[in-house]
Amino acid sequence: MVGYLFGLWAALTLNFLLPRLLPGDPLAALLDPDSAGYVYDSAVRESLEAYYGLDAPPVEQYLHYLAGLFTGDLGQSIRLKQPVAAVLGDHLPWTLLLTLTALGLASVIGIWSGAEAAWRRGSPMDKALTAAGVVIGNIPVFFTGMILLIIFGATLNWFPLSGGRTAFARYASAFDAVRDYAEHLFLPALTLTLALLSSKFLLVRGSMIGVLSEDFILVARAKGLPAGRIKHHHALRNALLPFVHHLAAHAGFALTGALFIEALFDYPGMGRLIFESVAARDYPVIQGAFVVVSVFVLSANRLADWLTMRLDPRIREG
Amino acid sequence: MSAPLLSVQNLRVSFASPDGNVRALDGVALELARGGALAVVGETGSGKTTLARALLGLHPAECVAGSIRLDGDELNRLDEPGWQRVRWRRIALAAQNAGTAFDPVYRAGEQIVEPLRLHLGLSETEAWQRARTLAEQTGLTERHLRAYPHQLSGGEKQRLMLAMALSCQPDLLVLDEPTSGQDMRSRAQMIALLRRLRAQSGLALLLISHDLAAAAALTEQTAVLYAGKVVEAGATRDLLTTPRHPYTWGLLNAYPNMTTTRDLSSIRGQMPDPARPPDGCRFHPRCNQAVDDCRRFEPPLERRGGRLVACHLGGVQTLLQADNLHKTFVTNGHAGPDSLIEAVRGVSLAVLAGEVVGVVGETGSGKTTLGRLLAGLLTPDAGAIYFEGQDIQAVNGAEGKNLRRRIQAIPQDPFESVDPLFTVRQIVRQPLDIQRIQGDRDALVRDALAAVGLPAEGGFLQRRPHELSGGQLQRVVIARALVLEPRLLVADEPVSMLDPSEGARLMNLLKRIQNERGMGMLLISHDLALVRKVADRILVMRGGAIIEQGLSSVVISRPQHDYTRALLLAAPSFNWFPDGSQGADESPDINNTGDQ
Repeated sequence: MVGYLFGLWAALTLNFLLPRLLPGDPLAALLDPDSAGYVYDSAVRESLEAYYGLDAPPVEQYLHYLAGLFTGDLGQSIRLKQPVAAVLGDHLPWTLLLTLTALGLASVIGIWSGAEAAWRRGSPMDKALTAAGVVIGNIPVFFTGMILLIIFGATLNWFPLSGGRTAFARYASAFDAVRDYAEHLFLPALTLTLALLSSKFLLVRGSMIGVLSEDFILVARAKGLPAGRIKHHHALRNALLPFVHHLAAHAGFALTGALFIEALFDYPGMGRLIFESVAARDYPVIQGAFVVVSVFVLSANRLADWLTMRLDPRIREG
Repeated sequence: MSAPLLSVQNLRVSFASPDGNVRALDGVALELARGGALAVVGETGSGKTTLARALLGLHPAECVAGSIRLDGDELNRLDEPGWQRVRWRRIALAAQNAGTAFDPVYRAGEQIVEPLRLHLGLSETEAWQRARTLAEQTGLTERHLRAYPHQLSGGEKQRLMLAMALSCQPDLLVLDEPTSGQDMRSRAQMIALLRRLRAQSGLALLLISHDLAAAAALTEQTAVLYAGKVVEAGATRDLLTTPRHPYTWGLLNAYPNMTTTRDLSSIRGQMPDPARPPDGCRFHPRCNQAVDDCRRFEPPLERRGGRLVACHLGGVQTLLQADNLHKTFVTNGHAGPDSLIEAVRGVSLAVLAGEVVGVVGETGSGKTTLGRLLAGLLTPDAGAIYFEGQDIQAVNGAEGKNLRRRIQAIPQDPFESVDPLFTVRQIVRQPLDIQRIQGDRDALVRDALAAVGLPAEGGFLQRRPHELSGGQLQRVVIARALVLEPRLLVADEPVSMLDPSEGARLMNLLKRIQNERGMGMLLISHDLALVRKVADRILVMRGGAIIEQGLSSVVISRPQHDYTRALLLAAPSFNWFPDGSQGADESPDINNTGDQ
């Protein structure tokens, strides 16, 4: 736990230092009337200067920054002229919905197919799945996304082309709402699932093959246990231990993947926000997004540690 | 006699591999009576574990052929669900490596309960109750059942494995190396536990092990497995005391136990590649007595004197046999009763193929005369000597010459046994010239010199005896003996002229060459400390007669004759310090270094 707090602190500190380490002053472009990024709104200019307090000594700036974080004050978006926290609050749920859906789907499919392929190792099904896994795993997400968009969105017209929901829609019932959200989510989530799936499949298959060669599996067979029990109760249960950590490490990857996909599908999540903020040099938002991503990845790892501890008695003790 | 519980006939297990078809088991037949115990012993790679798994149907069905009958039911035709009904309920397996035999994420108790619930349909409470009883029987407690595998020691896991294997009260328990990887104390406890359990439950045991002592302690019957074939089978006691097959004999010799003071000697060579077993008898490349038939035909497993042996020669051959030898020397040039010295009086002995027999006695006991008789350098007054079944006095001419070639002597004093004017090359080459050996004789000379660790090139070949050290010359003499590829070496005090360190080096060399070439060796020495390090058997000589003989381990640990005990006490030790009761200087006549 201490490790995670330290990691969080390190990430936040880096977030504080990076803009200040860039050549020149992060606000120079914003405050210089000759630059393209000049902020015309004098009120915003003043609030920026006040927030960053660049005249104050660095230590005071740093403490001020940390205090702001704890009170949820992440500064003011230059582009949207709103508090950064509010901007993130608008976009984060969409990204979480997309990322977690894809991670969940990819995990379920990956675990199931990986376990089956390992159990029937060398069979045509195993060979086909493994080959497919390797191929799909190496296609870039924007390519997959584009293909899916062209086939299911543009050509077949089964799913909407962009957005997170139908604009200005009024829903007659909760069901309609869920349906609309789901339809918009489907293609982006499918794209991300495909991007995440193959590594999960290959990992579970490999780890399951390793477990199946263990002595305790042989003993389980010698005990006369039926195949299903050996496969799930003993083999898969052990094969999932490395998977949990992989999942946590993959959370960061999933998030980055989501950024591309959101841009492609014009999905209203963090990805699009970061894209637009970078284009507009909206530093406060970029910094805020960085904080959120750090917290997300660190939490995922913390969760994985906790889960592993629940799942593996050998680690519970250590 | 009732029908056996387990009857295995012509069991063949083969696996496809990149190198070709690996025949792990090739026609194995075994029988085990209800409540009986059978050990299957052999080196790593002999197919033991394959056999254990085959008995539980754990190999893919297409790999297994032949018949496995349990109580008359043919198991090898069963499908997977059929096997699931046999496993654990009728045949249980205590797997090798109990350390990794438990699923790490479940408590040990849960894993014992699992088959109880599945096979016997017990409720959770009943199953745990039964698990506690089983734990008690194997000397464990509730705490061990509640523990995760990683919290248990190797010995505890071994016991839990046993408790788990016994849970469904099987008819047959297959124990795969139950004692391997354990320290001696837990090993002894495991053996005691198994004996007790067997006495209590009357279950049949099939012990798969390379641990011969465990086989002796636990079983009545033993089968020796080599490269997927049974080479010898019979009553454990007989088999381990008088092995017939050369492999069994080698296995026993290689086995370290507390009663052996001899250095370990391995069976020469390696287990054959199971994908390409040699033609003929699979053991012939490592066998000390292989003949042409062994290279060409596979020996059948035949009943020979109450035991099954697969050997064309019927088992370990006697290389040299001497019956009732007598030799009397006449001193003073005339034959009067007071001038006769009976050097050898009624000595009978045998040397098996590949065996090292030590003849021990003090100076004047007649051991050198005996050596010369056996090497054919003297003719006995009475008695007969047979070498590979041939009476050495009856053969002559070409046959006799050939026979001489196969017995070679290494004399005590190398300086006396070489012509001082000969070069090293001439010394070693001379036997080849005398025997008119065909081929490149100089190459054979170089090979022989290389075998004894001497330079085989250039100037060394041209040296003469006075230019060599005692150790070098003794090596040259050994090379001279080896150059004819003898089957038996008669070595009379081969290292007594050397300092202890050079002597030890030379003795190691001699033992190694003997082991690699599978020669028999008769080692004559006054030095019991030396002999017991290399000899398989020891003969103690006194006054021209053999007064005690037996396995080295037995002669050393339980000497029967007072004279042997005296020799043992006189053997050099470091007990000559003030607190020691005996010392080397109290018995200078039987000393180690021998400053003659």
